Amino acid sequence: MDPAEGNGEKRALDGEDLVSNKKLRKNRFQVRVLQDAFYGAQHPSAARKAELADQTGLTFEQVQAWFANRRAYDSCRPSQREPSDENSIDDPMEDPEAEVIALSPKTLLATNRFVCEICGKGFQRDQNLQLHRRGHNLPWKLRQRSSKEPRKRVYVCPEPTCIHHNPARALGDLTGIKKHFCRKHGEKKWKCDKCSKRYAVQSDWKAHSKTCGTREYRCDCGTLFSRRDSFITHRAFCDALAQETARVTAAFNNVESNMLQQFPMSHIKASVVHGEAADHEVKQRLALWMGHGSRTNDPLGNNTGFGDMHQVGPVSAAATLYGDLLNSPSNLHQLDQSQLSWVYGDKLPSSSNMGAVTSASLPATSAVKEAETLQPLLGSLPVLFSSQQHHLIAVSDTSATALLQKAAQIGVTSTVPFTGSFEPPKCQNANVHDRFDGLFSSRSQASNLENIVPNFAVSNTFDVYAARHGSPPRDDVGGETRDFLGVGVHTLSQPSINGWI
Amino acid sequence: MRNTDPCHHHPSICCLLEPKDPREEEKWAAELIQECAKAIADKDSSKIRHLLWVLNELATPYGDCDQKLASYFLQALLGRAAEAGELCYTTLISAAEKQQSFVTARKVMLKFQEVSPWTTFGHVASNGAIMEAMEGESKLHIVDISNTYCTQWPTLLEALASRGSDTPHLRLTVVAMLSMGRSVMDEIGRRMVKFARLMGVPFEFHVVSIVSTLGQLTEEELGLRKDEAVAVNCVGALRRVRVEERDAFMRTLCALRPRVVTVVEEEADFTTSRGDSVACFQQCVRFYSIFLGMLEESFSPTSNEKFLLEKECSRSILGVLACNGGGVCERREKASQWCERLTEAFAPTAFNDDVIGDLEALLERYREGWSLVPAKGNAAGLYLTWKAEPVVWASAWKPIKP
Repeated sequence: MDPAEGNGEKRALDGEDLVSNKKLRKNRFQVRVLQDAFYGAQHPSAARKAELADQTGLTFEQVQAWFANRRAYDSCRPSQREPSDENSIDDPMEDPEAEVIALSPKTLLATNRFVCEICGKGFQRDQNLQLHRRGHNLPWKLRQRSSKEPRKRVYVCPEPTCIHHNPARALGDLTGIKKHFCRKHGEKKWKCDKCSKRYAVQSDWKAHSKTCGTREYRCDCGTLFSRRDSFITHRAFCDALAQETARVTAAFNNVESNMLQQFPMSHIKASVVHGEAADHEVKQRLALWMGHGSRTNDPLGNNTGFGDMHQVGPVSAAATLYGDLLNSPSNLHQLDQSQLSWVYGDKLPSSSNMGAVTSASLPATSAVKEAETLQPLLGSLPVLFSSQQHHLIAVSDTSATALLQKAAQIGVTSTVPFTGSFEPPKCQNANVHDRFDGLFSSRSQASNLENIVPNFAVSNTFDVYAARHGSPPRDDVGGETRDFLGVGVHTLSQPSINGWI
Repeated sequence: MRNTDPCHHHPSICCLLEPKDPREEEKWAAELIQECAKAIADKDSSKIRHLLWVLNELATPYGDCDQKLASYFLQALLGRAAEAGELCYTTLISAAEKQQSFVTARKVMLKFQEVSPWTTFGHVASNGAIMEAMEGESKLHIVDISNTYCTQWPTLLEALASRGSDTPHLRLTVVAMLSMGRSVMDEIGRRMVKFARLMGVPFEFHVVSIVSTLGQLTEEELGLRKDEAVAVNCVGALRRVRVEERDAFMRTLCALRPRVVTVVEEEADFTTSRGDSVACFQQCVRFYSIFLGMLEESFSPTSNEKFLLEKECSRSILGVLACNGGGVCERREKASQWCERLTEAFAPTAFNDDVIGDLEALLERYREGWSLVPAKGNAAGLYLTWKAEPVVWASAWKPIKP
């Protein structure tokens, strides 16, 4: 989890990646739920974690990671608190022995407390002043930052209405409280001349000015915007957004994870249809798609990505994503089969090929070898397994064999019309290899394929899904989502796969 | 009364024959229309017929601003003269609705917002006021009575999502106006729901169709809940309320106990002059010629979107001039007039510095000619001016505590 976004501002909508910034920081509700659970049980079972993931809209991995971190945090009481995190509620690390310091607004706003006696130049930190004094050939002394301070100091905000006025919510860092006070209660003296946005803290303003106006926003449909507001408004109504969610919902209407909307497959689809080369944009999107906020570079065994989708329901979002590829709106029907064959190789559904795929999916070192047999497929894969080091690892219940049997039943024919266009630059193949391994060598993955199957046939999807879940899509006129994270029933006014288009 | 002086009957032809100041020549439509209106008031039928004939000769919806003006007003004048205004209006509306689709509506709205701040001005101001009023609230309910086709809300959703550590739950109830087709609204709703999910904002969407007139809207239809903070967003809506129902409408709004009511209207007075057709025509001509001129300068000449907006404009003119009572009402009022009505139940709140900053930044992004002017005197709020003429007014109101 990325602790702070530089200047502390939230950007939910970024031209490049729409939601990931928001995802990195857990909101108050999520933290509360997790904290409460933690106080109840420090080692929750997988089912409990899944439940919490559902409740908070986080992924299973995130919940898992949160608990692990929390236990570690709890077990060793560090002498230093984290720098001010306004989102933490009832921070358990709060040291009741800490000295609560209430500085006056004047002190907090003062920028240069340390003044050189010779030239009168002011500095924010004593350290800087001392270094400056060296220049005057004055005796100087750099104090070492002692890690064992006799008493921990925490600072409260002087503003009575502020939440940090309460010593229980004090901030542990002097710079933190200064910046907080300035930002929240100070006068916004700094104004960006490009966009008129105002800032109280000079560093915030500087940071903003660097990026203001330089950023361009690109929608999935390909249109470029220089203005953020027109980009946002466009995006809300853009067909690209509609299509992607449409297919996803159609295949998968009762269960949704908030990851679904991070996967704008439409662009990929468009590429597929028109044979465009995968471009950076696609990779970026896929990065989101795949990594779900996890930015680690650990290529193998990383259980992020789709693992958590398992928690959302039997038919995971991985399936949906594949389903995405495979369910086309009416005008792209012909892709279904080709896309399927993409997954299964050129000869489908002959058992030999299935075999190849199956063995590739077994967790083993043999994965490398299997990956090679699937080399022809790899040409097209890099597009989807982006160069940004994320892994597609799905978790599910059913066995790979059952999955493949189903696939055989559906009777897919083969053509791979678009492989050529996705030939990545050579250097990427190696990465893809690894990733492919990772994909098919993870423990729980075999199910990967299983998830794809139910969504193969456009016409079957719905039935399969319905059969699995035993309930038709609900017709909810109000357009109401079950919970704000999108987990739950989504509105479909007509129970048709192409309903949104 | 026949006047033998040819110029009296053919003022425009006169103008064309004699070389005149070009600016004056441009205004021939306004003059003609005024003359005609006067003739109607005087019930001078031969003069009416004559002027209508002249207008007909010169008018075309595909020409320059004057020609367009002439064309639309001609339609309105004919409607008025034949007392078939309402029929004509409703026919036009239903024809337009048939042709309308989500795609075209979206195209027109977004393009308009791209080239002109006419609508976005109100959006930014309203959203700013709503964000400020809803600070700290966790359950919001926005009652959207507007003609914006929800183009106002994506930026608000983004603002809510970026607001802070906890994103509030938002319910949006849209009161669909006469011209907003049900299928279009449904599609818009679907898009909004999806987008809200993308933003990570818990969201509910609901459309209320007006059965009778807007003025008869009831609290029950809106389905308010107890624990939510309500904001009412009236953009281009108040003018749709029949004049005699306006005060009652204010009271209805007040009864919803909203945290804030945002009002955005076009600055023109077609209400006080209801009785006096000549004055009304004058106001209309003035306002719509500014509007058409703005459209002309903002869009590219062959823009399809511009054409659709102009068609809407012609319907609006018809609605104002030729319809009396019935379900149709587009009688705008000026800011000072609205303020008078609103101050019965509400007190104005100022827009904060950030919003003003945002508005100024917004105007920077468009062509020259736009500026922001705070309202003075007995009006509160802000004006958007085009070539120094106030055209749009935005304001925010809080209910006066009983």
